[in-house]
Amino acid sequence: MFVARSIAADHKDLIHDVSYDFHGRRMATCSSDQSVKVWDKSENGEWHCTASWKTHSGSVWRVTWAHPEFGQVLASCSFDRTAAVWEEIVGESNDKQRGLSHWIKRTTLVDSRTSVTDVKFAPKHMGLMLTTCSADGVVRIYEAPDVMNLSQWSLQHEISCKLSCSCISWNPSSSRAHPPMFAVGSDDSNVTYGGKVQIYEYNENTRKYGKAETLMTVTDAVHDIAFAPNLGRSFHVLAIATKDVRIFKLVPMRKESTSTGPTKFEVQIVAQFDNHNSQVWRVSWNITSTLLASSGDDGCVRLWKANYMDNWKCTGILKGDGSPLTGSSGQPTAMSTVVGSSVQTSQNALNGMSAGR
Amino acid sequence: MSGSKPDILWSPHHPDRYVICDSELGLYRIGPVGSAETKPGTLPLSEETAATLLAINSDTPYMKCVAWYPKHEPECLLAVGQANGRVVLTSLGQSHNSTCKELVGKEFVPKHARQCNTLAWNPVDSNLLAAGLDKHRADFSVLIWDISSKFTPETSVAAEKIRLSSVDLDSSTVVTKPLYELGQNDACLSLCWLLRDPKLLLAGMHRNLAIFDLRNTSQKTFVNTKAIQGVTVDPHFHDRVASFFEGQVAIWDLRKFEKPVLTLTEQPKPLTKVAWCPTRTGLLATLTRDSNIIRLYDMQHTPTPIGDETEPTIIERSVQPCESQIGSFAWHPSSQNRMVVVSAANRVMTDFTVFERISLAWSSTTSLMWACGRHLYDCVEDSAEGIESMIEKDIATKMRQRAQSRYGHDTVQVWRNHLLAGGNDVQLKSLWFDLYYMKQCAEDMELKLQGNKQSVVYSGIKNIVKTSSGTTESRRCWAGSDRPTDVPRYHSEERCLALRLCGWISRGPDIDVETFLRSLEQEQEWERAAAVSLFNLDIRRAIQILNKGATAEKGDLNLNVVAMALSGYTDEKSSLWREMCSSLRLQLKNPYLCIMFAFLTSEPGAYDGVLYESSVAVRDRVAFACMFLSDAQLPRYIDKLTNEMKEAGNLEGILLTGLTKDGVDLMESYVDRTGDVQTASFCMLKGSPGDVLKDPRVQCWIENYRNLLDAWRFWHKRAEFDIHRGKLDPSSKPLAQVFVSCNFCGKSISYSCSAMPHQGRGFSQYGVSGSPTKSKVTSCPGCRKPLPRCALCLMNMGTPVSNCPGTGKSDEKVGLTRENKLAQFNNWFTWCHNCRHGGHAGHMLSWFRDHTECPVSACTCKCMQLDTTGNLVPSDSS
Repeated sequence: MFVARSIAADHKDLIHDVSYDFHGRRMATCSSDQSVKVWDKSENGEWHCTASWKTHSGSVWRVTWAHPEFGQVLASCSFDRTAAVWEEIVGESNDKQRGLSHWIKRTTLVDSRTSVTDVKFAPKHMGLMLTTCSADGVVRIYEAPDVMNLSQWSLQHEISCKLSCSCISWNPSSSRAHPPMFAVGSDDSNVTYGGKVQIYEYNENTRKYGKAETLMTVTDAVHDIAFAPNLGRSFHVLAIATKDVRIFKLVPMRKESTSTGPTKFEVQIVAQFDNHNSQVWRVSWNITSTLLASSGDDGCVRLWKANYMDNWKCTGILKGDGSPLTGSSGQPTAMSTVVGSSVQTSQNALNGMSAGR
Repeated sequence: MSGSKPDILWSPHHPDRYVICDSELGLYRIGPVGSAETKPGTLPLSEETAATLLAINSDTPYMKCVAWYPKHEPECLLAVGQANGRVVLTSLGQSHNSTCKELVGKEFVPKHARQCNTLAWNPVDSNLLAAGLDKHRADFSVLIWDISSKFTPETSVAAEKIRLSSVDLDSSTVVTKPLYELGQNDACLSLCWLLRDPKLLLAGMHRNLAIFDLRNTSQKTFVNTKAIQGVTVDPHFHDRVASFFEGQVAIWDLRKFEKPVLTLTEQPKPLTKVAWCPTRTGLLATLTRDSNIIRLYDMQHTPTPIGDETEPTIIERSVQPCESQIGSFAWHPSSQNRMVVVSAANRVMTDFTVFERISLAWSSTTSLMWACGRHLYDCVEDSAEGIESMIEKDIATKMRQRAQSRYGHDTVQVWRNHLLAGGNDVQLKSLWFDLYYMKQCAEDMELKLQGNKQSVVYSGIKNIVKTSSGTTESRRCWAGSDRPTDVPRYHSEERCLALRLCGWISRGPDIDVETFLRSLEQEQEWERAAAVSLFNLDIRRAIQILNKGATAEKGDLNLNVVAMALSGYTDEKSSLWREMCSSLRLQLKNPYLCIMFAFLTSEPGAYDGVLYESSVAVRDRVAFACMFLSDAQLPRYIDKLTNEMKEAGNLEGILLTGLTKDGVDLMESYVDRTGDVQTASFCMLKGSPGDVLKDPRVQCWIENYRNLLDAWRFWHKRAEFDIHRGKLDPSSKPLAQVFVSCNFCGKSISYSCSAMPHQGRGFSQYGVSGSPTKSKVTSCPGCRKPLPRCALCLMNMGTPVSNCPGTGKSDEKVGLTRENKLAQFNNWFTWCHNCRHGGHAGHMLSWFRDHTECPVSACTCKCMQLDTTGNLVPSDSS
């Protein structure tokens, strides 16, 4: 079903994040080697690195694209306590013809006193807004009031989450029925501190973000969090990477028009998988939020899919180094039978690939 | 290391060899599993690798610790520390090697016998071997031997002792005089040479960590601590040292040695081994007793020497290489993040690679990219797969395929849209047939000039039957016989309309299902046709259909049996036929056959066996209900069914709800369930009533669908969709985006470029005739001043383009459609937003095919590259 092939990334240290642009034709990677690389997909499907530059003076944790209507804009965040906004420009040189493009730093956001652990652009309909979260537990929301001038960002909101933040995710829903909302996860491993996922919602009246919900059942360190693309659904789905993969459904309760408080949610846990058998590091949704990918300390990427009854199942396992997965060594799960056929096919394809390498 | 606990050592130079030592030394070679499988004596280590035992050495009993000679030659030389404090050099499988021979068997004997705890070769001066011993009164506990030193014929007490203990020893191989003696009056538990200066030795002494300098042995720097076991230097950061005490690991920075820079979270059980990963910076592996996991500490940052108060980021991970409890582990010296693990109980070995934390992302086109370590992996869905997997395809893939097959765009034969969707989705089929029948009915109504009724058609059967009035009841005879039935049938105009919407009857006042039956026969839906025929009280026709079905190609012969059973129908209440049929019908697999007998055996008005048979299509059940349920029963049943459909998000229910708010509710639960905003958008667009389209949910689906098309670069499809939408919902038409004003008078010149085609006049008319009453197309309609010139042809814009060079293909087209020339894209105004130069679109395109800079001389603007999105190719270009 899924076939993996290796790309020579040429980063000098660990890659911490991969991010696609809106169209899936460009990709950015960031690494402990303090650099960001931009990749473009050619017509024949090959990825070419078209830019690589030093962005920070520490490991770059995350990199993310703005919607293309704001231009070719990237944001990165780093251990060096800053986040930065980058824009691709066409300069005087003929870089483009040599297959290289030029990125310049538009701004450095220096408000954090600790490592900036995640950076995300808000959904397009909110304008050009950027959110960062940091290890000292502060979420900051910046706005570029003039989208034509990316060097000016004003700090609009500063929200203290009390716990060291590791990841942040915006609810992508553009429906007017859903006020702006984001979830923030904490990697604090002290289980007695309670819920590690907090959800904040914008209040039109106070013009502030207020806490709408804390997922009290998630008490272990959270490493990644992802709202599913809403796609006109009436509820929100949130995937959480903690000691296992969890999928939560947040159903907004009908609220009376008079009430001004935050939306109340009916929080349901839809799925919980410990197949990674260890810490789960990342979760990612596909565009229709019908497929979830997760990665864990077992060194595997797992794919999850729901059937029409909303039962989530593992539909594929891929080893992190792209090598075929045979049997179930080290992972005593029943999953190998489920994916038997798909593993077989990917294995063949992979053998072909390694021969070509 | 006690005898019961195994340990592993990788060969410093052979990447495929390692030694396991417990009571004896075993040398193994690791290799791919494929070839080795047939060989006896290989041990599988993982799916890919297996180990072969090369040699066993049991010459040295009472082993306490082992260290592998770090230099290339001799390659398999090991130093073994024994319980009595002696250090013996030994070898494995290399006895014939001459350089080795000299050294093998050499013994280094301390003055007082006590346990040897640790050994460490000097990484640079490989003749130096440090041994850490237990305490013996005021004796030294750290001895540094020179392995190249010859036997010292010293008449010391120690030498005599040796002779006593091992009589047959060749005296030339025994060394009793260490090069250095350190750590007086103390015990040494762990040792390591510092990598930043090979003259420095770090030792875990009884209550402190001490650094000895061989250049000045009288001095030592030390720090009091309990964490004195397992000292080890980070190979990637030579000032960083780890040591442990019971369950706690302390990390030291030698530049500020006063206290640990950090201590790791304490483990409940005592640690047995701590090791830095040699292939990756800042990765420390730890093992506790009786555990089957190895805990990894990922120190992301090399500590800064001074003044940094922030704690370094440490990511704690745990890996489970094998099921059983781990005895020991060893990192592979060169292979990335690889280790071999040996179990505590039965010496089972496992080859294991610790994966880096994988980060991943989906692209909009369902390909997955992940990063593992320094590598990237691109993972795409393999499209070369059979049709049987189509059903399992993700909705994103389905929507993409459907968009490309113009799904939703067939506005005449509306039902065909389900074929465009792949034709294998029952609900979509039902939905598009519903919409088709609705459209047909609406058109007929229009013909009859009952204008207001159109909305009735789209309001769904639920609302139609509610308004039902003037229902008549009739008892018809079984077709072909005079025998009257006791089954009452109901008629009304609304019920008739409902039957039409169900597709049972076509236009006309009569209830004639013959056309429907024939189409069912054509599609070989024999059972369904028979049931419909039966419900129209025509048993003979039903039997006929079943016979036909039995004889048809691939027909089911059992249908004949069913026909036989059917022919025996009797309306006698207590007949054997009834009794048998009502009990045996449940065993029939086909739901239509089942409801046929349910109908025949049930009391009039009590048709639950038919109405609640959920595997029968909703349209058939509803049609049945419209025929046989009374005015009291019908709305209740329809309401119940509607709610059921709404809850399940079943598109068959659109028949009941129509395109009303109820329908939107139903569609909402369908979208909630599937995410199929494409179907939702197209379906709701058919609902002409403005209130449905104005529903924010519908607007939201449409926006989401358009956004999907944009993300997939299906811009042509998006445009097509917008046109389609504009036709059905005029309010959605976008406003003009750009206005061009004249340089001289400042008025909009849109009159000349956009209004013209609407007048339906050929452009050439103006150019050629130059009628005095109308302004020339090359001039501003307001002030009649000429418009700017094209940068390439230097004509005033608005001029019809003569065939431009370099566009051979379009030339022919221009010739063919000369009268439409004005609509040609080539004539459009284009300009660069950056340098404000521009010209005819055709000219500009052909210019930028070969150039990157603006055609205006001395302008270096790279007009075409300014916008990266502009360089993206639509993926649906047709």
